Amino acid sequence: MSENKTYNIVFGGIGGQGVLKASEICGLAAMLAGYSVTKSEIHGMSQRGGSVESYVRFGSEIHSPLIPAGCAEYLVCFHEEEYPRLKPFLAEDGRDYVSYIEIAKKSIENPRTLNTFLVGVLSASLPIDVEFWMAALEQVFPEKIQELNKKVFLEGREVGTK
Amino acid sequence: MYASKHVGLNVAMDPLMTASYTGVTAGFVIVVCDDPGMHSSQNEQDTRWVGLYSKMPVLEPSNPREAKEFVKEAFEISEKFDTPVILRMVTRVSHTKQDMDLGERIVPEQPPLEKNPAKYVMVPKLAYKKHILVEERLNKLREFAEKTSLNKVEMNDTKMGIITSSMAYSYVKEAYPKASILKLGFSYPFCDEKIRKFAKSVDELVVVEELDPFIETHIKAMGIEAKTKDPSFMIGELRPELIKPLINGEKKVEKENKDRPPRLCPGCPHFFSFNAMKKLDLFVAGDIGCYTLACLPPLQTLHTTVCMGAGVTFNEGLRKANPDAKIVGVVGDSTFVHSGVTGLINAVYNNAKGVIFILDNSITAMTGGQQNPATGMTIRNEKTKQLDLKALCLACGVDHVDVIDPVKENKEFEALVEKRVNQDALSVIIAKHPCKLIKNLG
Repeated sequence: MSENKTYNIVFGGIGGQGVLKASEICGLAAMLAGYSVTKSEIHGMSQRGGSVESYVRFGSEIHSPLIPAGCAEYLVCFHEEEYPRLKPFLAEDGRDYVSYIEIAKKSIENPRTLNTFLVGVLSASLPIDVEFWMAALEQVFPEKIQELNKKVFLEGREVGTK
Repeated sequence: MYASKHVGLNVAMDPLMTASYTGVTAGFVIVVCDDPGMHSSQNEQDTRWVGLYSKMPVLEPSNPREAKEFVKEAFEISEKFDTPVILRMVTRVSHTKQDMDLGERIVPEQPPLEKNPAKYVMVPKLAYKKHILVEERLNKLREFAEKTSLNKVEMNDTKMGIITSSMAYSYVKEAYPKASILKLGFSYPFCDEKIRKFAKSVDELVVVEELDPFIETHIKAMGIEAKTKDPSFMIGELRPELIKPLINGEKKVEKENKDRPPRLCPGCPHFFSFNAMKKLDLFVAGDIGCYTLACLPPLQTLHTTVCMGAGVTFNEGLRKANPDAKIVGVVGDSTFVHSGVTGLINAVYNNAKGVIFILDNSITAMTGGQQNPATGMTIRNEKTKQLDLKALCLACGVDHVDVIDPVKENKEFEALVEKRVNQDALSVIIAKHPCKLIKNLG
C-alpha cells in the first residue's frame, strides 16, 4: 500500500460498453491490493443505451461513495459524446483518458474489449501491482475469454506506461 | 426478512400495518430501499414516515458495511421488542460495493409452531389489546434509542453540530470533516434526550437529511432551534458538493439533465408491438417495465405510467371517462402476474371493453432478467410449474385471447391488433417473443 491518500476514479460511457465491468475490475484489483474500496453506480439502465457512470474510490478513509465534481484524479471516458457531461468531474490537475479511446480502437481487434484496454491504460498510473489486476480479470471474466482480456489489458497497460 | 424498494412496500402496506401489531415469533426485518433522485422509480417517497405511521423502529445505514452490521442489530431489536424492524436504505447505499469482513453465521434454533390467537388473530377485540402493547413497545424503543450506539455522537469543533442520517452522513463527513455530528442510525423512534443534549453542546445546530424533513419536523416539534434546508432540497438526491449550499440555507440550483436517455435495445420485441399501436394512433395505458421506455422518442406510444397493474386498470377507467377514444393497455408478463390479473378480473366483471397487450418477453427484463411464474423457472433458475397466461386470461372470462409473435408474425400481428381494437369486446393479445438479452442472461 502506498501513502495515506484516496484515489478517485470516474468511469463513464454508454450502456453496453462495459463501463461497470471496467470499474468492477479496478475496484477488485484495489481491494486485492489491500486498499479500502467503494464502488458506486446505478444499475438497470446500463444495458439499455443510457448514460452510465461508475465511481471507484480507494485509499485509507472513504466516506462518500460519490466523487464530487472537480475531485476525480482520473477520468476514464468510453465515448466521446459522453465526454462533455463527464468532464466536470475531473480535478484541475487530474488525468484525462479521453484521447485513449481512439488509440484503443486502433489497437484492439474485438470492440468489446475497449473497456479492458482502457483499464489497462489506467492501471499504469495506479499504485496496484500487475498481479492484482490479473487476479481481478480472472474473477470478472469467464474462463474462455480470460486470456484475450489479459492480453488486451497488458497492451493497454503498455500504452499507458509510455 | 422482506426486501423491496419503496414502491414495493406500498403493495405490502396492508400486511405490514398489522404485522406491527402481531410481531413474529423470531426476528423480522423489512429492508426497503428509497430512490432519491429517482434513478429508476416513479416517485421519491421517504419510507422513514412508514416507521412513524406503523409504529415500528427504523434503522438507517450510511454505507454497505454498516448495512451488513445493522441487519444483525435489526434482528436483535426485532426479537427483543417483538416488533418488525425497518432497515431503510437509499439507492447509494444499495448500489455501492465496499470491502468488508464477514462474521460467523449464527443459525438460531427453530421455535415450534404454536397456536397463539391473542398474538396472531387480529380481530378487533384482540387487536385492541395488541395496540396497547404496541404503544408500550414504542416507549421502550424510545428508551432504547437513547442508549444504543446506533445513535452516535462524534464531538469535534463545537461551533456547528450536524444531526444527520443515512447516506447524507457520508456526504457530511466529506464536506465538513471537522464538524460535530449526531448520526442517527436508529432514526425512529427518536432519541429526544440525546438530541437535546447534543443541541446544547454546540453553538449552532444544523439538520442535514435527504428527501423529506423527517428529522427536522421532529426537532422543531421539540422546540429546538435548528438550521434546516431550503425546501428545494427535498427534491432529488444529495451529493457531497450539495452539502455546503444546503447548510448555508441556499436554494437548490436545478441543473439541466444531460444524461443520454435509455432506450429499448436494438431488435427488442416491444418495438414491434408498439409500432403496430403507433400506426393506429391509440391511447396506450402503460405499466412498469422496459416497455415504459416506449414513452420516449422515437416511439412515443405510451401515455400513462403510475404503478404496476395500471396498464390493465387504466384501460377500464379511461374508457369510462372517454367512451369514444381508442384506448388500449399494455403490461409485461411478470407485471401481469404480479398485479395485472386482478385488474383483468375486474374488467371482465364490470363488462369493460378494450385490448390488453401482455408483452410477453418471458423474463423480468428491466431489473436484470429474473424468472417469474410465467417462465417455468424459479428465481434460482430451477425448473418449476409454468403459469399458462392464455388459460389464465380465458379463465378470467376475456372474450378473445390471442397468442402471437409480433416479430416473426409481424404482418399478422398488425392485422390482428387492428381487428381487435375495432371490436366491441375485451381482448387480450399475448405478444410473445423472448427478450433479446435472454441468451446473455443465462
